[in-house]
Amino acid sequence: MKRLKILGSLVAGLLISGIVGAQGATVLYNERVIEVANTLPDATDLWVAPEDLTRINDFVLKPEGACLDALCIPVLQDRDSEMFVRRSGQAWFNVTVLADKLQQAHVTDYEDGIWSFGVMPLERTPFLKGGIAPDFELTDRDGKLVKLSDFRGKKVLLLTWASW
Amino acid sequence: MPVWQAIYEELKTNNFEIISVAQDSGGEAAAGPIFDAANVSYTAIIDVNHHISALYNLVNVPSGVWIDEEGRIVRINEGTYAKNHGSFGTDEYAPIVRDWAVNGADSPYVWDKDQVLEHIFQRTEDAERAQPAFLLGTHYFTHENEEKAEYYWTMAQELDPDSWNYLRQDLLYEEGGSAGPEWRARRSAEEGRGETYYAPLEIEEQVNQ
Repeated sequence: MKRLKILGSLVAGLLISGIVGAQGATVLYNERVIEVANTLPDATDLWVAPEDLTRINDFVLKPEGACLDALCIPVLQDRDSEMFVRRSGQAWFNVTVLADKLQQAHVTDYEDGIWSFGVMPLERTPFLKGGIAPDFELTDRDGKLVKLSDFRGKKVLLLTWASW
Repeated sequence: MPVWQAIYEELKTNNFEIISVAQDSGGEAAAGPIFDAANVSYTAIIDVNHHISALYNLVNVPSGVWIDEEGRIVRINEGTYAKNHGSFGTDEYAPIVRDWAVNGADSPYVWDKDQVLEHIFQRTEDAERAQPAFLLGTHYFTHENEEKAEYYWTMAQELDPDSWNYLRQDLLYEEGGSAGPEWRARRSAEEGRGETYYAPLEIEEQVNQ
């Protein structure tokens, strides 16, 4: 009985906040696994709140658009647009349309709501055109975060191998 | 691995680092004991998502990348066995690593930018999509959903048929294993077409620097 009551208040809470029907999603991007509590349900695209956009790929929604450092992709926000809608006062941003604009590959398991995004081509240019070593952040076996850029000033031999 | 450990211990005071990254979705259980057995003191990473291969367009293991003091690549995409193991491997790579660790930019084995760009493996547009598919497969593998892991790992292989890593990581968990009949058949088919399993080592001294 007590359980039912809790459930009841939870449903009421959802009704008030106007996100009934919202569902969660898991987003994979590089080494990140981002759990998104609420998305705007959509058959093909991933719509998230602007703060979750930043958690996913560091893009920040500003008046001039979705921005990552100096790069800004224009986004109309005074009306519904392909990347932005407002529902019951809540703003939603379309992560998959942004990825398509950036020519960033993505693969989705719709059944489980898991969205996996590739490396953004714009981040690949210094490597592919300039021979600059792509930076990475990976955890070593001691649990320490290893960042390639922390090794500036040293020669680094980067080796891959496998047990298989 | 003992060869790299010896070179590292000898030359680490020479502004030289080794970052060794296992491309192993099986994680610590798969790759950890091998690092332990070699008793490595350089940076050891187990990269379940094969992130480094994705970033550096590497399709096979072992592979090596030389990165200079300014973060520029000066050699890339070579089959970097430290020594000859009879039917495979080479004794030629470790000595040029040693030369570079000692001499840096003055090493005759350092490539210029154009040579580096020429040696970066060229991926198709489809192959770019393989990375998020593999990432998704590994997510399922880690969460013990074998059916979906297999589905997305297979998708990654179909999108990027050049990647031996994607193929063999998957084969490891199938009958026959990562060096079994399927791998052998694919390898001989490729070599039959006149292609090489490893990008050939090009160890010539650069004289025009």
